[in-house]
Amino acid sequence: MLKKIINLFEKEKYLGWFLIFPSMLIIAGLIFYPVLYNFYLSFHEVIIGIEMSYVFVGLSNYIDLLTDSGFWHSVYLTLVFTFSTTLISTIIGFFAALLLNNKFKGRFLVRGIVLFPYAAPVISLVFAWRYIFHPVFGQFNYLLTSVLGVIPEPIAWLEMPRYALIAVIVFNSWRMFPFAFLMLIARLQAIPQDHYDAAKVDGATFWQRLRYIILPQMMFVIATIFLLRGIWNIYKFGEIWLLTRHLNVLSVYAYRTAFSQFNQGMAATITTSMFLMLLGFIILYIKKVLKW
Amino acid sequence: MVDKFFKKLSKKVGFLIGIFTLIFISGFPFVVMFFSSLKTERQQYTFPPTLIPEGGITELTLENYINVLNPEIFPFFRFFGNSFLVASISAFVAVFLAIFGAYSFARLRYSGRKFLQRSIILVYMFGGILLIVPLYQIVVSVNLANTHFALILVYLMQVLPVSLYMLGNYFRSVPYEIEEAAIIDGCSRIGAIFRVVIPLSKPAIIAVYIYAFMISWNEYLFASIFLRSPSLHTLPIGLEQLFYTEHFVWGRMMAASILTALPIIILFLGVEKYMTEGLTAGSLK
Repeated sequence: MLKKIINLFEKEKYLGWFLIFPSMLIIAGLIFYPVLYNFYLSFHEVIIGIEMSYVFVGLSNYIDLLTDSGFWHSVYLTLVFTFSTTLISTIIGFFAALLLNNKFKGRFLVRGIVLFPYAAPVISLVFAWRYIFHPVFGQFNYLLTSVLGVIPEPIAWLEMPRYALIAVIVFNSWRMFPFAFLMLIARLQAIPQDHYDAAKVDGATFWQRLRYIILPQMMFVIATIFLLRGIWNIYKFGEIWLLTRHLNVLSVYAYRTAFSQFNQGMAATITTSMFLMLLGFIILYIKKVLKW
Repeated sequence: MVDKFFKKLSKKVGFLIGIFTLIFISGFPFVVMFFSSLKTERQQYTFPPTLIPEGGITELTLENYINVLNPEIFPFFRFFGNSFLVASISAFVAVFLAIFGAYSFARLRYSGRKFLQRSIILVYMFGGILLIVPLYQIVVSVNLANTHFALILVYLMQVLPVSLYMLGNYFRSVPYEIEEAAIIDGCSRIGAIFRVVIPLSKPAIIAVYIYAFMISWNEYLFASIFLRSPSLHTLPIGLEQLFYTEHFVWGRMMAASILTALPIIILFLGVEKYMTEGLTAGSLK
């Protein structure tokens, strides 16, 4: 019996590696290796022909990129998009979680509807939103001009870079708020009931409860959502490109450089720079905000 | 007394307004999609915008759906079939590999395990856009451009880390004693995985499969880079390209959008509980 168990531990060493090996092989081969390869390509000019060939150009791609004002504009657009979308979707998700944390009839139905934007495929959603953003017949302009009167003239939201930024932020905040909602409501429901009871006995108002009981308990989840969504939003491509071709965030800039201009060495330089910037942010964030 | 009554009433009204705003925000674009899919091209263009055409609800038509489902008019079935093929195979392989990988992480003790687990978490710092150039170069150089196989491999790579993470979380929540009993009874580790772990985690495994399926079903970036022939197109890239052709009709695109979204939304809502548990387990300290 004892021998059998020792034998088992002996074998486990190999079994552990054996079971994880295929997954690691795919992740190493299709993620880690390409990222390194991308770094290598960023120092080359890629000549596309029948045979691909690479010419070493040293830092010249990086110098060209960093002195290109178009690149810095893309950095700016990416940061504005990432920050606004993350913030707005978390705020909406937070209020949705507070509302649905109450018990009421039809709660599960409402929860289901709230998850629709997150569950539906992007391609379906962009068609609906292209219609909603239509300059003449769309509901968005109608709401802002005729109903609320916030803007005097209809706007071509998806055709002008200035407004495309707003449209993309609106669409992505809407699409991603259910993610924040799911994480936040799971945390809300884990707050012990006696915390609320104690507050009730003390006669705390709703805002006091929010400030002193709910928020402190939620800070860690909110910080995690910001980190994850921040990373995913910086890299976001499909949800932007499919809605409008007029917003040159870094991912779109890299995609165009690689597959419209076929300057793949430069595209590798753009994506490598993106990664390095993100790495800087993450280190700063983990040190300053999460305080690990 | 009256004061208290009004306080309670205003609280209730505020709550209801909140709930209805929430339903409106989440659901309105779907309502637009639904009514547009039932309108003729002429009925789409009205100002002020209306959901139901002027002539009332009887003016609505199923014509768009009939056209979309007719392969001679609209290649919906071909795109749907391609998407289904690519998504179901990549999700299946990902879940199969992840069951063993996640088991290894959750239950076995060996040197190097911590390092491997950390490197999986590291993957969260990368995004698909970082890989477009190198993967394109690799795919072209091994002659896999314009094949579903290349796409399946890339989707497998995209869903494997999250599958490992989610399944690892579930396996840790299954009591170890049952497995231990099976092993003491003479079951091997692999036997215990098949006879105890998989049956006990069935809902979780299905949830991870559907999550992986959804990610592949949604993917546009790599499909647009790898696939050239329209006959190979998946739904996202196929529908997107139709938008820029003369075949573009609002109602048809909306009908196709609904048919693309419906199966996924139903699957998602069916397993959402397990999915959320697996995804949020790590962050709920």
